Amino acid sequence: MSFIGNAMAILRKDLLLELRGRESLSLMLFLSLLLLVIFNFALNPDKDNVSSMASGILWVIFAFSGILGMGRMSVAERDEDAYLSVIFSPVSAESFYLGKALGNLLFLMIMECFTLFFFAILFDFEKIIGLLPQLLPALFLGTLGFSLVGTLFSFLSTASRYGEILLPFLYLPVVVPVILGGVTSMDMILNEKSGDAGKWIQLLAVFDMLYLAISLLVFRYLIEE
Amino acid sequence: MNIIKLKGISKHYHAKTALNGIDMDIGAGACITVFGPNGAGKTTLLKIISGIMAPTEGKALYNSKAYSESDIKKETFYLGHKTSLYNALTVMENMDFVCRLFSFKHREKSVESTLREHGLWERRNDPVNDLSQGMKKRLALAKGFITDPKVVILDEPFTGLDIRWRSSILSKIKEIKRQGKSVIVSTHLVEEGCELADHVAFLRNGKLLFINKREEVDTKEIYRLFDSTGEARI
Repeated sequence: MSFIGNAMAILRKDLLLELRGRESLSLMLFLSLLLLVIFNFALNPDKDNVSSMASGILWVIFAFSGILGMGRMSVAERDEDAYLSVIFSPVSAESFYLGKALGNLLFLMIMECFTLFFFAILFDFEKIIGLLPQLLPALFLGTLGFSLVGTLFSFLSTASRYGEILLPFLYLPVVVPVILGGVTSMDMILNEKSGDAGKWIQLLAVFDMLYLAISLLVFRYLIEE
Repeated sequence: MNIIKLKGISKHYHAKTALNGIDMDIGAGACITVFGPNGAGKTTLLKIISGIMAPTEGKALYNSKAYSESDIKKETFYLGHKTSLYNALTVMENMDFVCRLFSFKHREKSVESTLREHGLWERRNDPVNDLSQGMKKRLALAKGFITDPKVVILDEPFTGLDIRWRSSILSKIKEIKRQGKSVIVSTHLVEEGCELADHVAFLRNGKLLFINKREEVDTKEIYRLFDSTGEARI
């Protein structure tokens, strides 16, 4: 099978795991809803200030729900050393990584759509749905960066006994450029601020390429003991 | 002909030495049983032989090639202390996944015949979580054997099994040995280990005390070595 075909086999397996175990996406959705409710009560936003807060609130939710979900996906691999099935096969470490990253990307995108939908309802901010086509590049590239780094770090952290606790401490500092780029570009679009959201989106694309290259290089060494 | 050659293999974990200067030749189609008390370095040795762990010192060769340039991982089935199964997936889904990784053309046929052969066909739609420990081990073996590996590495395959499952797994290992595959097994069970072996090795404190032909080793000597480590013999 081809490089992409192998990655698709990994992705298919991750979708099945989620379908059977409901341990990753369902937890992400639940946490994001919980955080939305907490932010709604804590900040008590009104029509005038919601657009200035939206971008920050959303990325905090994306970050924490995403960390939870990606951590769970890696735990499923480390439980019973299930990932060894892939290691002792003709599938390359790079295909394995790509399949895992695509799975994480898909789950993150679903969680983000869900969060945006409930954000519009709970914060009475339907405008965000109308602006989705403009938001999509920033959202997609930010999420891609998130999943590329998250796949690497969640696999790294679950090798340790305290892995899931360590994950945010290892992961968040590395992914700061993505959060900054995502928050700023989305904020510019939502508030029609002067400035170039496009430049931030280009920056996100550069970071994604950088993360992809580094991850593909180092993942092989992570899965060896 | 030697399929695997270890030269001066040592492994250090910080200050602790897990393996110290191991030399070992594993012939194609040979079966080696590695005995040793807990903490002797058996698991570390098997992980290094399988290629999932790199030694601190020494060289490991597969078909005369360094591991990094060889096909060791594609042609090896390694079963460690854990089963390497996805617990949330069904028996069938675990098998199907492996067949996809190996690009099998007739996946359904291969999975069905392997599951029938291992007595797991009736449980094909059950999640692995619902299987007994013995069945999980059997499924793990089935999953490995479907890929037709050249080298089979089993780290304590009898642990946690009752006598019925133990003899079932033993006969499966004998079967793969008959197929001419190289088998490396670590175990505490002297009788079972000797029944399988062409060669017997004994590890203690990370050092290889001996590696001899089965017929040259007296089982009493193995028991005596276990006794001298203060570990209860089985």
